[in-house]
Amino acid sequence: MNNKMMTPVSAASVHHGRNADGRNVGRGKNACHGKNACHGQSACRDQSAGRGKDTCRAEHAGPARRGPSSAAPAGLPGLRPRRGLRTALALASVVVLTACAHVPNPPPEDPYESFNRGMFQFNETVDRYTLKPIATGYNAVVPGPVRTCIHNIFGNVGDVWSGVNSFLQGRGRDFVDTFGRVLFNSTVGLGGCIDVASMNGARKVPNDFGMTLGVWGFNSGPYLVLPFLGASSVRDGTGTLVTLAAPGTITSAVFAINDVPVRNSLIGLYLVDARASLLEDEKLVDQIALDKYSFIRDAYLQRRKAMLDSRRAGEHASTAEALGAAGDDYLPVYEDPDLLPPEE
Amino acid sequence: MNHKARLARSPGRAFCQPENAMTRFKNLFRRLFALCFLGGALALTGPGLASGTEAVDPHAEPNVFLGAVANNMLAAVKADPKALAGDTTAITALVREYALPYVDMERMTRLAAGRYWREASAAQKAGLVDAFTGTLIRTYSGAFTKVTSGTTISLLPFRGDAKADDAVVRTTISQSNAPAIGVDYRMARTDAGWKLYDLNVEGIWLIQNYRNQFADEINRSGVDGLIEALKKRN
Repeated sequence: MNNKMMTPVSAASVHHGRNADGRNVGRGKNACHGKNACHGQSACRDQSAGRGKDTCRAEHAGPARRGPSSAAPAGLPGLRPRRGLRTALALASVVVLTACAHVPNPPPEDPYESFNRGMFQFNETVDRYTLKPIATGYNAVVPGPVRTCIHNIFGNVGDVWSGVNSFLQGRGRDFVDTFGRVLFNSTVGLGGCIDVASMNGARKVPNDFGMTLGVWGFNSGPYLVLPFLGASSVRDGTGTLVTLAAPGTITSAVFAINDVPVRNSLIGLYLVDARASLLEDEKLVDQIALDKYSFIRDAYLQRRKAMLDSRRAGEHASTAEALGAAGDDYLPVYEDPDLLPPEE
Repeated sequence: MNHKARLARSPGRAFCQPENAMTRFKNLFRRLFALCFLGGALALTGPGLASGTEAVDPHAEPNVFLGAVANNMLAAVKADPKALAGDTTAITALVREYALPYVDMERMTRLAAGRYWREASAAQKAGLVDAFTGTLIRTYSGAFTKVTSGTTISLLPFRGDAKADDAVVRTTISQSNAPAIGVDYRMARTDAGWKLYDLNVEGIWLIQNYRNQFADEINRSGVDGLIEALKKRN
């Protein structure tokens, strides 16, 4: 892998693009995210959302076009990564425009399916030419224990943000447990390298601002595929936006690092690590999904709902018993065709 | 297999058994940990599972039955060097041997197909069950590709009504140096005892996740098309 040397930088450049676009889409979201990928395409009769048509004008540029220009002033060293990014984006924008599939009857939880499928294809394409090869190389070159260590360190930092959100959700015990994890892993676990807390049965309580908004009573809203970031919903996307943009969050702390190379390397490593840890799961999804898009969508929606249910039901999610506390009220109800009025 | 049998005791602390030198460190960590948090909030989770081959009694309490099945499966993977290295073929064979006999594939497929099930002919139904079995095996095998000798399964306390005909048993899979994964099993009481019919990994139920895909595929290309699509991946 001779492009391994470029890894952090090029990955960081992707992140900038991603960031900027996440913001763009986030702002335009309420009005019309069912539209912007398809806008101006006469061939594309995207009526799935059936609303917000005229409010869409402002989104004309679309995420793909804005990406590079917002990424450019981010002070990235060197031209090559930027050019690579631009190529990838240009390529991917073609995909978005051509893959603007019209979905006649989208399910209620995914009214923007037409747009989402386009964005999903876009993300897949960008990923195929950028992060995925880098992450594959990273997995091939870096020894497993080192990767685990890096992954755990980022996970430990992430726990801080999870803990803050547990606090915001008024879940004192999760908050205390999570900070206990951070303290323990940061010290005995050598800065988070070894997840000693998990080894000792202290369960990780993943939390984020989208979940906090959910606990505060905001509905999830329709499913939404964010550019670069993938599966989300209107609520969770807003949460992501706040996390990326608001002062005092974990990402703003990273962006506050003044040493640009250090900052970009950190972000790059974070992205590569996050992507690399998904490679195995992705392989499995490729093997078992009939339709990758709806497999991921349904899994995402189910998981978020399960997380929210457990937070609403139990006092704390971090101990074993509370996990079961969401209980049977939340089990999916399947209609059994054999138990319906006679036939067989 | 023998040392596995020796591990087979002591709820909740299977990973603390003197298996290798690392264990001493783990014990040390555990004590430090207990001191840090006074054993309260972060106590070890639930009763653990023993490893080793156990007799499976489908008529037992749900968690006893499931505990034996899951535990035998894990022990079998650990005992097979190929499976432990992540060889999918080896793991698949073990899933067929240790888990599949306790799964009600017909029910699983029927629920995933929903109302379309009634439109299918008997031959199509059989074909669909057969094809979906392959998908299930791959899914479940996938969960075992990351098993190491340090992996343990813990049963969470059973909270449902043991007399009910439908039960959920919750487990967590603990791995060395990684967060635990929650896996729940849903089962129904039949004449032959408990039969598993749904599986939840980290909040995602398997059947639920296939209902839309089944419906879409059937709408697009009929039941035969769905069978074809499932088989393409087998």
